[in-house]
Amino acid sequence: MLARIAHELYWIGRQLARAEHTARMLDGVFHADVQARPDQPAGVLLSWGHLVTIVSGEPPENPASREEVLGMLTLDPEHPTSVLNCVTRAREGARTVRDVFSAEMWEAINTFHLGLARRDMSAALQTGPYSVYAYIRERCGMFWGVTSRTMLRDEAHAFLQAGAAIEAGDMVLRMLRVALPPGGEEAEEHLRDGQALALLQAVGGFQAYRRAVPAPPNAGPVARFLLYERDYPDSVAFSVEALHAALTAADPSYRGSPAVLRVGRLTADLDFRARTADSDAAIAGTLEAVQRELAQVDADIAQRYFGGPATPVSRVATLR
Amino acid sequence: MVEVREGFYDEMVDASGAPREHARTLVDALEALGPEELAAAGRRRDAIFMQQGITFDAAGPDHEGPTRDRPFPLDLVPRIIPANEWRSIKRGLAQRIRALNHFIDDVYHGREIVHEGLVPWELIVSRSGFARAAHGIRPPGGVYCHVSGCDLVRDGDGSWKVLEDNVRTPSGISYVLENRVAMTRLLPGLFSSYRVRPVDHYPALLRTALEEVAPTGGEEEATVVVWTPGPFNSAYFEHAFLARQMGVELVEATDLVVRDAVCHIRTTRGLQRVHAIYRRIDDDFMDPLEFRPDSMLGVPGLMRAYRAGSVAIVNAVGTGVADDKAIYHYVPEMVRYYLGEEPILDNVPTYLMADAEQRAWVLERLGEMVVKPTSESGGKGVFIGPSATEQELERQAERVMREPERWIAQEVVRVSTVPTAGADGSLAARHVDLRPFAVFGDDIRIVPGGLTRVALREGSMIVNSSQGGGSKDTWVLEDGADAGGDLAAPPRWAPPRMPGLSQGQWAAQQQQQQQQQ
Repeated sequence: MLARIAHELYWIGRQLARAEHTARMLDGVFHADVQARPDQPAGVLLSWGHLVTIVSGEPPENPASREEVLGMLTLDPEHPTSVLNCVTRAREGARTVRDVFSAEMWEAINTFHLGLARRDMSAALQTGPYSVYAYIRERCGMFWGVTSRTMLRDEAHAFLQAGAAIEAGDMVLRMLRVALPPGGEEAEEHLRDGQALALLQAVGGFQAYRRAVPAPPNAGPVARFLLYERDYPDSVAFSVEALHAALTAADPSYRGSPAVLRVGRLTADLDFRARTADSDAAIAGTLEAVQRELAQVDADIAQRYFGGPATPVSRVATLR
Repeated sequence: MVEVREGFYDEMVDASGAPREHARTLVDALEALGPEELAAAGRRRDAIFMQQGITFDAAGPDHEGPTRDRPFPLDLVPRIIPANEWRSIKRGLAQRIRALNHFIDDVYHGREIVHEGLVPWELIVSRSGFARAAHGIRPPGGVYCHVSGCDLVRDGDGSWKVLEDNVRTPSGISYVLENRVAMTRLLPGLFSSYRVRPVDHYPALLRTALEEVAPTGGEEEATVVVWTPGPFNSAYFEHAFLARQMGVELVEATDLVVRDAVCHIRTTRGLQRVHAIYRRIDDDFMDPLEFRPDSMLGVPGLMRAYRAGSVAIVNAVGTGVADDKAIYHYVPEMVRYYLGEEPILDNVPTYLMADAEQRAWVLERLGEMVVKPTSESGGKGVFIGPSATEQELERQAERVMREPERWIAQEVVRVSTVPTAGADGSLAARHVDLRPFAVFGDDIRIVPGGLTRVALREGSMIVNSSQGGGSKDTWVLEDGADAGGDLAAPPRWAPPRMPGLSQGQWAAQQQQQQQQQ
């Protein structure tokens, strides 16, 4: 298929996964922030400033307030990675690939975009952001549901899935890196009885965690769950595996693809690390390594399938 | 803001109608919202509750016709408990639960309190909650009432009193958690400038307590289950909620099987041993071999496993004896006897109708009394003197004379009020009670706040949801939070830097832009 179309599909997948993760994180932090901290104030540090760090790579210069961050990352047309902008870009992309999209997929994404642009959305964000995030979650779920039901499983499908998988992995890694306390003496104090509920709620994985892991939701076990648990569909390990599956489906000679080889190695590496007892302090290093590897995979994909290096990673969005 | 009912304590405004110190910002926020906004939020709430299935079955207004699901009535005006008040409630409850636990252990073992002559043995054995089968069994850790929910009320002078002890299977905790979630979604603005202590760790507390009492021998991971009578039980929503939140199986009797004095669940991979059962079913129905032989909900042989110590049952068998309304009368005495302390929380003055002297005294002033059957729950059969007609008074006196041991009488408590929103969004004072939930594993842990039930009808003091009661989100404030403002601690460490989110750009994008021209 055309490299341009493949590129477009890959990025539609990325943008939608990014929109959904941003919305879930905002919702999770909002819910936790409205109330006081649990008995031990330590635990996990997912705050408004951290959310800014997650999407822009750098902590905000001034302490970020709830209203600022909610507005900026949800509906701000100026902010490059606000949910609104992600969805707008995904919809613009969808316009150019209507021949490979099913009609229902196009409609799902277009309705999603129209709904976000409605005027009462900003009002709803002021009074009760929950309804806005519920809408975003629903619409993302709808798009992927319609896709799995109506789209031909061809190369186009594979590139769409690859984009969604790599973005999901990257977002969860970012969240963990920013939210997890560092190793060393201080970590002990943080991990003691920290309620990492906000982290789990920020990806919608609380119940899955409860069923899969017997330990209470403290920072250490939650981080390992979100990193290694292959049965949970938003863990890094799951996303990496899905990325591998998508790329092998897209590439008839995948054995020679550096991207596939690299992802394959990463899958095995994650499996291996999951089995060796990782101390809580060492996790931070693992997170960084995996994130760097995924960025490399992204570059490999661009090189091999989209015919040229990706534009240099640009630093976007510092909080004004 | 609202009219205070004469002679009653209102928790949000003082007698002059001015907001109390801790409620000032909340009152301002409510006034800023106005009735229309509040009514609109109420409609959103009903829609969300119906969607999420947070409902209960209720017959029509005249208790006729088919029952249907109704959204659980959450009132949108929260109730605030300041930190210092909560501290003393918490201490008082922990003390009371500890005493009750001692009492249950005593009843089924040494009976020292009986030998001391403090509680009559005839009274204990005649309670329907007394379980002969539990005699001599001491559960792991000596804990009997792992899960309890005492009902508290606030009298006219603002003091907290215990109205009832629930140590069998108190329900309502799921509504505490769901109410909080709903409030943060519907009216997040009300929370601003308050630091409200979260409640969502209750399932984690319960699971930890269950694991602590599970007799695993320290070798294997504890398998914990929630045992429900089935989907037709009125509290099934809560059973499923707790199982889901704890990440454990929700089982019915047919899923449980006892082999060689060990309890198992039937799984797709064969029998799996169960170490702890959080049961939401009465003693009577648990084991047809020991209790009611006609019970279809029970597991034959379960008591054998329990006696062998291979499975923990939570709450323990026979705790019902401490939750009886006639035993309630003696709880302050138990606190003094077992713990050597003065009770922190008082009882409501209670009279035993089995006692001839007390009975005669009460019958003379029946019109000023509340009369309750001893072994009922859910507000069934409660007689309220001041609102009864002549005829009803006579009938009740007759009932008491016929079966005196079935009844107790209590003085009327001037139950406190909290402003409550009507369907049109206007506020009016309504009576409330409070059911805090405690979990007893290695130690007693109490979730901040609890279930506040509110009588939605004007002047009514009946708060049961089956009889037109609603509930409120209950806020326990953090220490030093009364000052208000954002107390967010400065970040202790700087998160690592990483590349910002990339944007896909097609190399030939400029070409595309030229197409537009």
